Amino acid sequence: MNIFLRELRANLKSLIIWSIIIFLLIWIAMVKFSAYASNPEMLAILDSMPKTLMDAMNMHAFNLTTLSGFFGVMFIYFGLMGAIAAGMWGSNIIAKEERNKTIEFALSLPVSRARFVTAKALAALANSIAFVLITWIASLIAMQSYNPDGAVYRFLALEMMAMFAIELIFLSIGLLVACAMKRPKRTGSIVIGIILVLYYFSMISGLHEKLDFLKYLTPFKYFDAGTLLHQGGVAPVYWALSVVIILISLTGAYYAYNRRDMYI
Amino acid sequence: MNVIETSKLTKYYGKARGIIDISFQVEEGEVFGFIGPNGAGKSTSIRLLLSLIYPTGGSAKIFGKDVIKEGPEIRQDIGYLPSEIFYYERMKVIDLLKYSASFYKKDTTERMHELAEYMELDLNRRIEDLSYGNKKKVGIVQGLLHSPRLLLLDEPTLGLDPLMQRKFFSLIRQENARGVTVFFSSHILSEVQRLCSRVGIIKEGRIIEISDIRTLQQNNYKRIEVTVRDLPPDYFALPGVTNLEATNGGVRFFFKGDIDGIVARISALDLIDVTIEEPTLEEIFMHYYE
Repeated sequence: MNIFLRELRANLKSLIIWSIIIFLLIWIAMVKFSAYASNPEMLAILDSMPKTLMDAMNMHAFNLTTLSGFFGVMFIYFGLMGAIAAGMWGSNIIAKEERNKTIEFALSLPVSRARFVTAKALAALANSIAFVLITWIASLIAMQSYNPDGAVYRFLALEMMAMFAIELIFLSIGLLVACAMKRPKRTGSIVIGIILVLYYFSMISGLHEKLDFLKYLTPFKYFDAGTLLHQGGVAPVYWALSVVIILISLTGAYYAYNRRDMYI
Repeated sequence: MNVIETSKLTKYYGKARGIIDISFQVEEGEVFGFIGPNGAGKSTSIRLLLSLIYPTGGSAKIFGKDVIKEGPEIRQDIGYLPSEIFYYERMKVIDLLKYSASFYKKDTTERMHELAEYMELDLNRRIEDLSYGNKKKVGIVQGLLHSPRLLLLDEPTLGLDPLMQRKFFSLIRQENARGVTVFFSSHILSEVQRLCSRVGIIKEGRIIEISDIRTLQQNNYKRIEVTVRDLPPDYFALPGVTNLEATNGGVRFFFKGDIDGIVARISALDLIDVTIEEPTLEEIFMHYYE
């Protein structure tokens, strides 16, 4: 409990910064949306855009002049921000102890490495939950002036659930990278690298049939806003894949951290 | 009872040597000195005892329990003072100490304040604002606040001013008088000499000598210096003579062996002056490292 609480306090600043970023993002987006809302001319402009661009940005699935359509496109940002925030929390919460050389103090206390990792993972999880809730609240506030109906609320709830799932996946991957790697200074950039590569996969997977298999490799495709909007959920295979990734990452993280030498 | 017991403890970092085949025992209530120059493997040994790193071979036990399998339980009763102190920079000293205390099963508040007062530690400052010596003081309080049964001290006086060093030594003596076992690693021999009853000397990862500090000084070597009017060449080129060097009008050397024989040989000279004395630990130590 002591480690968990200390980490919550230590990470509060980071959570606040991320929350400000997501508030700004949503606010700027809503300023743009005010130009799109119920504006048929906008549809014509969008139709004239190159198809490949629309595919890459996954924009063909949405009608940008409606709230649901607009928040469908916004999900790209929610997913990416959730992934980066959670990935960084997951990796940093472990790696910083070695980077700042505090690990010698932390692990000379009567605490097992497993308990140490668990407490820290829970603190990162708490941050991730808070981040989704804040995104949710910010979105709800932002859409109020456009008279959202029940369908919009349900869709937003689905998106937030999907964002949380993406956070969980990248939180686990972040933990794995930090727990397994003995180079604490590089973990952050490696996690960001993984996220960007996977995100790139999700962009190109729709472009060509031969690249279609990529959709199984990148969590960004598991939780596709188009599917969420039109089918109201996520295919079971993607849930299964998500659970598998999380379990493997967490198991690997504990296994590696329990066995390796601390970098002092 | 042995508080620390290592058996052929070995650590390689990849191909780089950490320590090789280190075996020793430290008995309950003892102050054991661990001497060696930088890079000899002192910190590696201590980190293995705390299972911050894992051995390549061999094993170690503390309080009769395996340091890896029962690490958390063992560490309830260990106080550790690392050579360089790194704490969470943003925390206040008091919060850091309370955080540390929260891991131990006993109530440590009173002891914590007692120690902080004794070490003249300002509890309300942030760690990041502290000087090196002040961080060391936090380390001392943090390492002792839970009244551990074993103290692992790694170059503990580094960064402490002489006054604080004296306070620290008297603190360690008090702890030892209560029955606390002390494992004291250092490259400064005079402080080991002041405190320890037994020493282990480590060189390039191996223990080359473990002995009582008194026997180390007494039994073997004499430091002999003679001043003579006329010294025949190679007069002292004898078995048992080491570190022979010419001085202004004579020679100086270490001797180990038949004291009667060497005295007879010295007295045959036309002497001006002679001294025969116990070598300091410093000199013994240099001897081992040549």
